[in-house]
Amino acid sequence: MSSVIPVAPVPLTKEQAEAMLHHQIKKHHVAIILVHWFNAMTWILEVSTGAALISSRYFRVAPDWYIAMFNGLLGGRANLLQFHIALGVTWILVFLPYGLFGFRTYLRGEMLKVTDRDDMRWLIIRTLQILGKSDEPLPPQGIYNAGQKAFSMVVWMMTPVVMVTGVTMAFRLGSPWVVGWAVVLHFLAVGMIVAGLVVHVYMGAIFPEEKPAFFSMITGTVNELFAYNHHFKWWREMKVAHLAWEQKRTPKDKGVGSDEPEGEPAEKPATDSPG
Amino acid sequence: MARYAMVTDLRKCVACKACTVACSAEWDVPTGQARTHVRATPLAGEFPDLMSSPYVAQCNHCDHPPCVEPCPSGATFQGDDGIVRVDGDVCIGCGFCVDACPYEARYISPRTKKVDKCDFCRPRIERGEEPACVATCTAHAKYFGDLEDRNGEVHRLVFHVGARRLETAAVAVGPNVYYLGRPEQLDLVLASFPPRPPQLLTAGEAWKKLARPLVIGVVGATFLGQAVAFFTQLHKGEGDFDE
Repeated sequence: MSSVIPVAPVPLTKEQAEAMLHHQIKKHHVAIILVHWFNAMTWILEVSTGAALISSRYFRVAPDWYIAMFNGLLGGRANLLQFHIALGVTWILVFLPYGLFGFRTYLRGEMLKVTDRDDMRWLIIRTLQILGKSDEPLPPQGIYNAGQKAFSMVVWMMTPVVMVTGVTMAFRLGSPWVVGWAVVLHFLAVGMIVAGLVVHVYMGAIFPEEKPAFFSMITGTVNELFAYNHHFKWWREMKVAHLAWEQKRTPKDKGVGSDEPEGEPAEKPATDSPG
Repeated sequence: MARYAMVTDLRKCVACKACTVACSAEWDVPTGQARTHVRATPLAGEFPDLMSSPYVAQCNHCDHPPCVEPCPSGATFQGDDGIVRVDGDVCIGCGFCVDACPYEARYISPRTKKVDKCDFCRPRIERGEEPACVATCTAHAKYFGDLEDRNGEVHRLVFHVGARRLETAAVAVGPNVYYLGRPEQLDLVLASFPPRPPQLLTAGEAWKKLARPLVIGVVGATFLGQAVAFFTQLHKGEGDFDE
């Protein structure tokens, strides 16, 4: 029976695609959605005030008018710094419990799964596609694609650095030497994340192909066709799990309150799936 | 606009350190630190023609203060009156300015972990008083005033009597604390306590020369990549996507 589910993406008929398009499947837990948007807002505010805080000509990344604008908005450099610190500490207070207690529940290690051959090929082909140099189909991906995983790795490595160095500076924990290096590491870690964010925001908010992914961060669901085309391995995992669950109960419960024909269309073409 | 300056007559100074004490009391300077230092040069010359001089050091409120640029947060700045100030509410205590100062006028307070230094007793000036060190100087060796006030004592001492700046060819940042003394005395002071070339801590160097270009480069590259992607997409047009 498991042979019904294709091991690699196969072309869908129009009706199958239509049916899958209108079938929503859950992708994100509500906790992830809330944390994501809290994080997004915090990062917008922290990066914009942080850039305004660096006024030295040696180190600055923002022009004079930008720095003056933020100083004016918050009524002076001291307020700007206080705001940056207060929001940063709030962010840490929200994220620490999330990271400590929610790690297994919400992230399920998916984000940190070491990239495999498909992921490496995905990264190369995707980059070439973006530059208009390749038409090769992308290798199948899990619940998160290799680009999302690469970004999350940067985020997971750099976020603790941002938190520790931020607290070190804000409360001057350590000698001037320590604080001096904390400033540099804070800047560097944030810079690496911002570089990833450029891609993340473009893909999420502008790139048309990823529109369902953007809305999944609001509704928590994606349509099945998107999952099939963009996250095939994840789609297949769900199918296999669903089938196993169905097989388990079918002998006893056959006919009694049977579910709507979930995912049925997708299972049919699989009979002629390429090995 | 005023341009404040100080003149210290090293011929009158008896190195009693009353200035340091008055300053520390006025500004609650922690023990072991000082905003003004009284030092003495080593003995120079051959017996019996020996010479030594006291030297009173403090922030020079330089015309081109090398401490301002390295301050990441803008806590150190120069006011319109020429006084170089530290905004304690903005200082993060990284110590970059301490290493930048050629006159070792800055210290990190062990109490607040923020930088502190002489500000020419700005609050006192605003009240119309003299700086604490000037008011207390037992030998009346210190003068304070507006360099641009042509009738002022400081103007006279600097432009007509010839009070000197302690600067070298290597480090000439326009200090605004001037010194009076015999020429050989001032030469000895300068030779004993030459201004140190401004330094940037390794962390600062790493930030300026590595971290900043790296971040600008990486963020710029990804941004450029996305721009290329965006215009490629525009050129291609939207295909039939999943919605």
